[in-house]
Amino acid sequence: MNEDGLDPVIHVPARLRIVVTLASLRDGDDLSFTRLQDVIGLTPGNLITHLRKLEDAGYILTERTGNGTSARTSVALTHGGRAALERYTMVLRQLLDSASPH
Amino acid sequence: MNTGADMKDGADTDGTAGMDVQAAAAIMAQAHERARRELAVRRPVLFLAWGLVVLVGYGAMWLSVRGQHPFHGPTAPAIATLVGLFLLAAVMTVWFVDRATSGIGGPSTLQRGIFVLALAAGAFALVVEKNTLSYAGAGRPVVALFGAAIPLLVTGLVFVASSAINARLDWPRLALGLWLLAVAAEGAWSGPVTYLAVCALAGGGGILLMAAVEPRLRRS
Repeated sequence: MNEDGLDPVIHVPARLRIVVTLASLRDGDDLSFTRLQDVIGLTPGNLITHLRKLEDAGYILTERTGNGTSARTSVALTHGGRAALERYTMVLRQLLDSASPH
Repeated sequence: MNTGADMKDGADTDGTAGMDVQAAAAIMAQAHERARRELAVRRPVLFLAWGLVVLVGYGAMWLSVRGQHPFHGPTAPAIATLVGLFLLAAVMTVWFVDRATSGIGGPSTLQRGIFVLALAAGAFALVVEKNTLSYAGAGRPVVALFGAAIPLLVTGLVFVASSAINARLDWPRLALGLWLLAVAAEGAWSGPVTYLAVCALAGGGGILLMAAVEPRLRRS
C-alpha cells in the first residue's frame, strides 16, 4: 500500500488538524470558528479555505447564526467526516506498520 | 460559508509537499493532544479541588465536635470554613469549565447544565428535608448525621446516574459515585462525631485518589 490510499482531502496538515480537533468533540457538538482558529492557529482566510474543501467533501457542516456582533459561525464534523477520519487512521496505521522493520 | 474574514490569505494553503506518513501520524498525535488540552475540562484538577474541600471542610467540622458531651454539632467557624472552601471550589470549577468549553455548542452544553441542575436541586431538596427533620423533633445527632451525608449522597447519586449518559460508560465517574454512596451510607454507623472524620478521610481521600488515577482509568 502507498500514500495514494490516504484520503487526499484529509491528507493535508491543516485539514488533518481541523478534522482531528473536531473529532475530539462529542458526537453532535460543534465548535465556533474563532475557537477553532485559536486551537488550530491558522489565519481566518486559510481556515476558511480549508473548511470549504472539507465542506465540499461533506466532512463538515458550517452554520452561521445571529447578526452583527452576535453572529456566530459554528463548525461540526459530519458522520461522513468522522467515518473518513477513521478510514484515514486505519490506512495510516497500515502504512506505518508496513514501513516499520520486522 | 461566510465568516466575514478576509479571504486573501487563503490562497494555496494545501501544503501537502513533504507530508509523509510519519509526519501525518505526528500531526494527528499533536492535534489530538492539543484538542484534549484545550477543549476538555481538566477533571483531575477539579477532583483535586473538591477532594481538598471535603477533606479539610469535614476535617474542620470533625475537629470542632470531637469530645463534645453532649453533642451540639459543628461550630460556626468550622461550618464557615466548609462553606468558604465550597464557594472557592465552585468559582474555580466554573472558571475551568467555562475556559475549556468556550465556543463549544451542542448536546454536551445541555448535559452539563442538567448535571449542575441535578446537583443543585438534589442538595436543595435534602437541605429542606434536613430542616423538616429538625422541625419534626429529630435530635441533633440525627440531624447532624443527615446533614453530613447530604453532599456525598447527592454527588454520589448524580455521578452514578450520569456515568452512562454518553455512548461510552464513564468508569471513573461511576466508580467515584459508588464510593461516595458507600461512604455516605456505611459511614453513618460510626455516629455523628466519627462520621465527619470518615467523610473527610474516606470521602475526601477517595476524590483525591481519583484525581491521581483518573487520567489512567480514562485511557484504559
